[in-house]
Amino acid sequence: MAKNKAQIVYSPSQKVMRFFLWLLLAIMAVVVVFPVLYIILGSFKANQELLLGGANIFPRNWIIQNYIDAWNQANFAVYTKNSLFLSVGVMVISLIIASMAGYVFSRKHFPGKEIIYGVFTAFMFINVGSVSLRPLYELATQMKINTSLWPVILFSAGGGQATYIFLCRGYVNSVPKELDEAARIDGCSFFQTYSRIIIPMLKPVLATIAILSFRQGWNEYIMPRVFTMTNDSLRPLTVGVNMLKNAGDGAAAWNIMFAGATIAIIPILVVFICFSRYFMGGLTAGAVKG
Amino acid sequence: MTKYVNPQLAPTNRPPRPVNKKMRLKESGSLASALMLAPSIFFLLVCSVYPFIWIFRYVTYNYDGIPAHTRYTGLRNFTTMMADTKFWQSVGTTFEYALWKLLFIIPIALVVAVLLNQKLRGSGFFRGVYFMPTVISSSISGMIFTFIFATGNGIINGIMQNLGLMNQPVGWLTDTSVVMAAVIIMSVWAGFGNYMLYFVTGMTSISEDVYESSRIDGANGVQTFFKITLPMLAPVLKVVLMLAITGAFKDYEAIMVLTNGGPGTRTNVMFLYIYNLIFGTGANSARQIGYGALLSLAAAVIVGAVTIIYNLVAKKLDDVV
Repeated sequence: MAKNKAQIVYSPSQKVMRFFLWLLLAIMAVVVVFPVLYIILGSFKANQELLLGGANIFPRNWIIQNYIDAWNQANFAVYTKNSLFLSVGVMVISLIIASMAGYVFSRKHFPGKEIIYGVFTAFMFINVGSVSLRPLYELATQMKINTSLWPVILFSAGGGQATYIFLCRGYVNSVPKELDEAARIDGCSFFQTYSRIIIPMLKPVLATIAILSFRQGWNEYIMPRVFTMTNDSLRPLTVGVNMLKNAGDGAAAWNIMFAGATIAIIPILVVFICFSRYFMGGLTAGAVKG
Repeated sequence: MTKYVNPQLAPTNRPPRPVNKKMRLKESGSLASALMLAPSIFFLLVCSVYPFIWIFRYVTYNYDGIPAHTRYTGLRNFTTMMADTKFWQSVGTTFEYALWKLLFIIPIALVVAVLLNQKLRGSGFFRGVYFMPTVISSSISGMIFTFIFATGNGIINGIMQNLGLMNQPVGWLTDTSVVMAAVIIMSVWAGFGNYMLYFVTGMTSISEDVYESSRIDGANGVQTFFKITLPMLAPVLKVVLMLAITGAFKDYEAIMVLTNGGPGTRTNVMFLYIYNLIFGTGANSARQIGYGALLSLAAAVIVGAVTIIYNLVAKKLDDVV
């Protein structure tokens, strides 16, 4: 007989124990939140207060001048625009290519399929680090497309596609094949079956991929850093704010860097708070299926 | 499936279907499916296969980024590598970093997951909070911790001095004896949420009945953990350890932002060393891309070897336990 969870009764000593465990979790949560809170609150401090240091996490006087300066003088308007362009671009391309490839991999049988699939898997595990950015960078330079963020978008989406394809393929596998065949009988072509029948069925996994690939684009650092080495106006937030740190002695503009870092984390935190289910679901699904 | 090709099932106002309809159905999507797969194949070739081949081409070359300077040098890169103490030192640093990171991140993630599994009030909220750092860019978390660990005006030193825990500020990022601790704290903070979530997911598959019977038998929390949770979690633990090991060996973005390998070469992990060979603009490092390509392959081999050794050990342990 399975007992209802609500019926579990804890003895007083167990209750005290559970309170201490809860306290442990709460303290842990404070420690985890602290760095982010420190940056966000610090971005409202005056620069003198930041440079003075001390143990006070709350600003003495709340000011928003840091944001105005960052936005107007330190180019953060452009960085933010670039970050949005980059992450939306990576998201759209990932969604399109992964859903198409996942569908074909799930439904079609063709010679060489296993080999192609194996190559995808192999390159998920082979990691040669930043060196692979060098040929891509030279390729972009030779094709003269390095004057925009497009190469970063394309290479980022292309480099991350394997996980998303596996997610899609796994999900299409769970869609009954009879649905495809019914659509085909009703006169849908292969592509129409995909666009009219499969895509609406894939909504949950597409949402996960949208979120994960948006984050991927938003958080991309090394690649845009390499590709925008000589072009400040193309930099996304992650690169822009770090270049500020490297420029000069760094001490001068702590307030701008705090504001910049806050601008870089707030959007992704908002997305996370709204869609945390997809973030966490995507992680475990990717691990199980991939 | 044959019912779909039965002409009698087709609506009467349509022309009768040909007998070999099923065959035609199979073939009709060939071109479409090839076109739909083409973008992914194209990206695979350009973003993964091409760079990989490119690396092999340059392994035996001296190349500084200017095509006219490219020279074939035979095995010289290889002999340089064997004698390159800086590189082997960075390999050692990587092992040191990975070991410390794993020593903290796995137990913390596991303990937190166990606590979350007690169904205390607000568990879902806490889970979200612990996962939160993983959605932040590693470059930004590196940056946050440069502020936190700053010697003069960093908040860690501020708080600890206020509490009387230290007399003078600690140079978290400038003192070779403590900088590794700072790096580890940052990377544990940024990454433990991932592994916690794997453990939590793994634990939900352990039946509630098992816990209940252990409770009836009078097992306390610690006994339950070691006698039930841990053994039943072993398969998940094995996968998570594998992900954590490979992950720790690949880390360098956040370290690059936090310490840039310094002070000196104290936190210069191998992928950071390689990055500076290939894209570095530092005054002391001339670009050596061909050599960097060889070191990248060496690093990939090292990571691969560690993974294989881990798998062998895990298998042995499986047989014993």
